[in-house]
Amino acid sequence: MRTLLILIRKDFALFFRDKTAVALTFIIPVALIYVFGQVFGITRTDTGPTGIPLAVVNASDNPGAAALVEALRSEKAFRVITERTLPDQTKRPLTEEDLAPLIRDNRFRFALVIPADLIATDTFGLRLKILSNPRNDIETQTVNGLLQKAIFSNVPELHGQSLQARAREFIGAPELQQFNARMARAITDAFGGDAAEVEAALAAGDFTMQNTSLARDPGEPAAASRQDFFSEIVKIESEQVVGRDVKAPAATRVVGGWAMMFLLFALSGSATSVFEEKKAGLYQRLLSGTVTRSQILLGKFCWGVLIGLVQLVTLFLAGQLMFGIDILGHLPGLAIMSLAAAAACTAFGMLLAAVSPTPQAASGLATFLILMMSAIGGAWFPISFMPEFIQTIAKFTIVYWAMEGFNQVLWSGDPILRTLPTLGILTGTAALVMAVAVWRFNRGRIFE
Amino acid sequence: MLSLQSVTKRYGSLTALDGVSLDIAPGEFFGLLGPNGAGKSTLMSLVAGLRAPDAGSLVLDGRPLAAGGGSARAALGLVPQSIALYEDLSAEQNLRIFGELQGLSGADLRARIDEALAAVQLADRRRDPVKTFSGGMQRRLNLVAALLHRPKLLLCDEPTVGVDPQSRNAIFEYLERLNREGLTVIYSTHYMEEATRLCSRIGVIDHGKILALGTLDELLTQLPFEDEITFPATPETGALAAGLAGQGTVTTDAGQHRFRPAPGHRLSEFFALAEARGLPPRLFTHQRPTLEALFLHLTGRTLRE
Repeated sequence: MRTLLILIRKDFALFFRDKTAVALTFIIPVALIYVFGQVFGITRTDTGPTGIPLAVVNASDNPGAAALVEALRSEKAFRVITERTLPDQTKRPLTEEDLAPLIRDNRFRFALVIPADLIATDTFGLRLKILSNPRNDIETQTVNGLLQKAIFSNVPELHGQSLQARAREFIGAPELQQFNARMARAITDAFGGDAAEVEAALAAGDFTMQNTSLARDPGEPAAASRQDFFSEIVKIESEQVVGRDVKAPAATRVVGGWAMMFLLFALSGSATSVFEEKKAGLYQRLLSGTVTRSQILLGKFCWGVLIGLVQLVTLFLAGQLMFGIDILGHLPGLAIMSLAAAAACTAFGMLLAAVSPTPQAASGLATFLILMMSAIGGAWFPISFMPEFIQTIAKFTIVYWAMEGFNQVLWSGDPILRTLPTLGILTGTAALVMAVAVWRFNRGRIFE
Repeated sequence: MLSLQSVTKRYGSLTALDGVSLDIAPGEFFGLLGPNGAGKSTLMSLVAGLRAPDAGSLVLDGRPLAAGGGSARAALGLVPQSIALYEDLSAEQNLRIFGELQGLSGADLRARIDEALAAVQLADRRRDPVKTFSGGMQRRLNLVAALLHRPKLLLCDEPTVGVDPQSRNAIFEYLERLNREGLTVIYSTHYMEEATRLCSRIGVIDHGKILALGTLDELLTQLPFEDEITFPATPETGALAAGLAGQGTVTTDAGQHRFRPAPGHRLSEFFALAEARGLPPRLFTHQRPTLEALFLHLTGRTLRE
């Protein structure tokens, strides 16, 4: 035990003498987590995209089209562009012909054309044209979704107008007028209200009647919300079962994954110090005395676990300071989970050093495996985004189980007893991987 | 003190040590002389317990030396060929770590660290990182790091590689002093000058076998000549070299004739011949044969090949 403590103390002394190692272990991960946090908006309550340039050409004189442009302007995801600045700094409205060249010039990647014949007469529906440069698939999907949302949420009467136009095409204008008048009378006979007002609403395509006396309580202003009607078509009652009390939900979900990635990098780098010590002949000196191979390996492992634990706790505390994650409230569970995760990561680093012929090979292999494990283990984005077979493979990574454990502690607030299966998987992985590493070390030439 | 019996070590198809038997007495300064790849470091590593022999036995003070453990190794100190120090740590931190790992602690450890640093003139640099030391200073520290626990047997595996003459002399003097105080030393080298200066007994090793073993005088008697005269190979000395045929062997190498008189040949006859040809005495160097010559005689190769 004394020998082990001396070896661990020696590694700590070496570590703290190496300013680069200290920076790579603590300062750089904290800085990167801060940057990631800003990039992924985990400090914001509303985490959607903002300010995507969207060119809009409105050739329609339909008031609904103008309402649609205003609706798009009010979407924070978009920065609506309707004018073009000419070389002499004068401005003019964008035309449809301007759009394709400007998209090719990457002035913007999305454009919406509202044509003069917005309301289709040959079929039911609206005519809209979207031009895009789908350089970023996620951005394209987001923009398409937001456009549809804006159209369906803000201008439902456009669809009514389309239906009116199609009916006019089929039965003719006089018959349609008669139909609307009879329909208005039938409605007002049944529900009350002003028949002329209802008929005008029907003719304008406003089947919601939101702007008529029919939909208003006495004294309510005429410009009632059009969204109320649609929002009540499907009633969704939402109740968050887990994580309601989590103080920084977004940060709590993701910081553990990032911390794991940096932990793996730090510990695999540390494990490769066995190559430096072998090259210097230090193992010859140690082993010619009373130190055994097992003590050297166990010393390295214990030191790795301790420095890993310190690193994880530091990164989580930084998460508390920067993003408001509640660390102190879950400290015992988090410390135990961090210990298990650090053990698994240290064993992984030791195995890399044991199977690699050179430090360069170990470093290359470590980078590849750590990035793979972080990607498929869920450190970068939820694994539900990935194909099913990748989701299966994810369960064989340390990152996945460590993140599971951190979420159990920080998100679900599980007591330690409930985290035992996850702890068991992490510590079992550490034991198994370390056993293989020791076997490989003893068969290799690192100690000769 | 140390006894090796029929020790064999193989690496795959390569036999690094081939049935080596050797006895080292207490207080000896034993030299292991041979070229690179002769088996010196393998023999050292077996004695130090870093590897296990494939055959044979190693016994120190009556106790078997086992690889990977065993109390007998506490009596050993190893000075590895490389600078086996933590270069980011200070001299004092290094000695503290190695001393503690040898079971030392407290005031005793502090006293031994002070003594060791003073012995190799590094007391004033004790808190400096080892990486700021010169090669010679690192070598000196590398040496005393193996001595803190006061071993009975010190294994020095080519401890002066890359060392300046001043540090080399300091290391020699320190080792000689320790040997006079009773420390047994096994010193491996491919420098015959080091073996000649330091060692009371020398084993010449090549291809994993001890080719010759004894004191310097005993080894040199194995040569078929007792003297050696070298002189420049020039047109003026060519006739002399030719005239020496039959009186001994003459070889020419690197612009030098080397004349080794046959037994019974009188040196005065050689100088008479030289004088008769008008060659001045300053051209001739007379010396006793060297370990280099012995190695060449035994193997047909030089130590540096």
